[in-house]
Amino acid sequence: MTMVQARVASPPARRSVPGSIRVISGITVASLALLFAALAVGGVSARDGLRVIGRDAGPQVVATAGLYFALSDMDAQVADVLVLGRAYEQQRRAALARYDERRLEANRALLKAFELSGDNPAERRTAESLLDGLGRYERLAGQALLLNERSSHEPGPPPDEVVRTYRQATDLMRLVLLPQAYNLTLENGTIVRRTYDEKAVVVPLVRVAVVVAGLLALACLVWLQVFLARRFRRVFGPALLAATVATLVALVAGVAVLGQDQEALRRAKKAGFDSVLTVARARAISTSMQGDESRYLLDKERADTYEHTFLDKSLAVLYLEAGNLSTYHKAVAERSSKALGLLGPELAARDGQAVLETYRGFQAADTEFRRLVAEGRNADAVAARLGPVRQAFDAYDQALLVMSGRHENVFERAIDTGESSLDNLWRLLPFAIGGIALLMFAGVWPRLKEYR
Amino acid sequence: MRRALAVVLALTALAASACGVGGGETLLDKDTVVIGVRPDLPQVGFRTSRGTFEGFDVDVAAYVAKKLGKKAVYRAVLAADREKVLVDGQADMVLATYTISQDRKAKVLFAGPYHISYQDILTRPGEQIRNVRDLRGRTICNVKGSNAADRVVVERGIAARLAPFDDYAACLSALKGGKVDAVTTNDVILAGLAIRDGSGLRLANAQFNEQRTGVGLRKGDVAGCEAVNRAITDMYQDGTASRLLHKWFGSAGLDLSTIAVPQFEGCS
Repeated sequence: MTMVQARVASPPARRSVPGSIRVISGITVASLALLFAALAVGGVSARDGLRVIGRDAGPQVVATAGLYFALSDMDAQVADVLVLGRAYEQQRRAALARYDERRLEANRALLKAFELSGDNPAERRTAESLLDGLGRYERLAGQALLLNERSSHEPGPPPDEVVRTYRQATDLMRLVLLPQAYNLTLENGTIVRRTYDEKAVVVPLVRVAVVVAGLLALACLVWLQVFLARRFRRVFGPALLAATVATLVALVAGVAVLGQDQEALRRAKKAGFDSVLTVARARAISTSMQGDESRYLLDKERADTYEHTFLDKSLAVLYLEAGNLSTYHKAVAERSSKALGLLGPELAARDGQAVLETYRGFQAADTEFRRLVAEGRNADAVAARLGPVRQAFDAYDQALLVMSGRHENVFERAIDTGESSLDNLWRLLPFAIGGIALLMFAGVWPRLKEYR
Repeated sequence: MRRALAVVLALTALAASACGVGGGETLLDKDTVVIGVRPDLPQVGFRTSRGTFEGFDVDVAAYVAKKLGKKAVYRAVLAADREKVLVDGQADMVLATYTISQDRKAKVLFAGPYHISYQDILTRPGEQIRNVRDLRGRTICNVKGSNAADRVVVERGIAARLAPFDDYAACLSALKGGKVDAVTTNDVILAGLAIRDGSGLRLANAQFNEQRTGVGLRKGDVAGCEAVNRAITDMYQDGTASRLLHKWFGSAGLDLSTIAVPQFEGCS
């Protein structure tokens, strides 16, 4: 518009001055707009990343891991009650109380998972199917418990009728419900990885765009000043000088905040989330491992299968070269330091030693437990399962929880830091835009007025 | 303002596509994926006389490839070569009754499992082998590249004699000729062999080891692995898995009472 007017008038040099001022001011405003647009895009993108990782997927991993633990332990408690028989009244009541407690936990975790699934249809479907399945499981488990009570058997494997009913319940739990809970945990790992990989490219790139746009805006402001100074024989206009400083501050602050967010996302993912997910998976697998011990005791026909799944899960948690369970027991006891598997990389941390020690304790208790079973001492095996084995497992589980808690703290702190620095940027941005606009106006308008 | 935003976004998109978000080679970048399937297992992965492949694994592979929006090309892979074709890049995916194990995971990445089967025992009719412990002192096939026989001898600690064979066809004729007493491996493989053979070989239904059958992928292809897992979840949720299992194994007396999405191994 201004260009066209200037050309139509085909004016002498002096009369083109207001045109030039308008053009240079226009370019300056455009480059400032570019700067703030880039800051806005970067801010929105970083906030989106922090929200997905920190407020959706992160808490969902914790909720679904809790769900897995509660479900898996419910099934283990039922198996415990069934092998106790008519002896050990106190332990039987304790196991039933723990079953009820886990059932409440499972229901709460399921509600939470459903709430967090938001509008993700696949996650919702899974949560609904879990809710249905849990009802069916409770019915089957109730039947098995009732049949067991009527049979009033010795400690050890219950009568066939009880085993058959329990098999239906445990198959539903282990083959249908637990995999869904576990896959839900993994799916959130996928969501986090994808979001992080995207943000790890986008945020630094926008940061570069902010720098380029910011330098451009600063150059334009300087150009405008130099032009005005030459034409109007004045040393710097204070308003434009202030606008330049404000732009510089906005640029530096913006680049710093985006850098902080980039780092916050990296920390949240690499130092927090990845380990939280790994420990959650290890804990899930370990819980079902200790259930396999009770099932091994309970169902003689499937004992080989349950012993094998116990080994398979042990190898997944902490891999040591071992072709069978007794070799594995030996290998764990001999403190082989170089371990692979889920927990392998986590053991180097300072709480890793406690996890390794308690895991060893659990495997040692398992060795003793299986020796009793092999010798046919059913009542002693039941006592071992409910005594030393359960205690060793609880100690190991507690060590895992401590480790997970530390990573969760790192995770939450990183997300909080990222969000609060973004909040500051968000609060300052309108003032920066308004202030710079006013200063520009104050710097340019009086000069233009001289030509009226 | 809007134009500036568009410019920034365009720049970002350009750079993002140039760097390839996430980095690392993935089968998701290909239009056609080469899938290794078994040529020697009836009902599971089998080369027909026309040179095409058919079976449960082949149908699962086709479903997954379709879900990923890829054209599928199949190539034959025997048990012993499953790791090699992935490591050498001759195949992008392997669906060949590939049981997930921690030592195999050192070389390849597993998506899935897409099916949980059990180790079982196939014998001549009239034979008195009911469970794994009855294999003590008997001769069993040890098919090259398969760890099934080892799982009896090493894992279960049962003193059976091993007779080496290149493939199941040779092993089966040795069973019928009385040179070996039993064949042990995944129940689906045994069911397929029994259906094809038709001479009344019988499954012991011993179900002594859980076998998690996964999709072999090149190590490091995390994005590909996650996409395959989503496809497998869909396959179970939309009923395809149940249809395929009944189609290929329904007549073999395999227990199909529980069909549910398996617990995944995880991609990292």
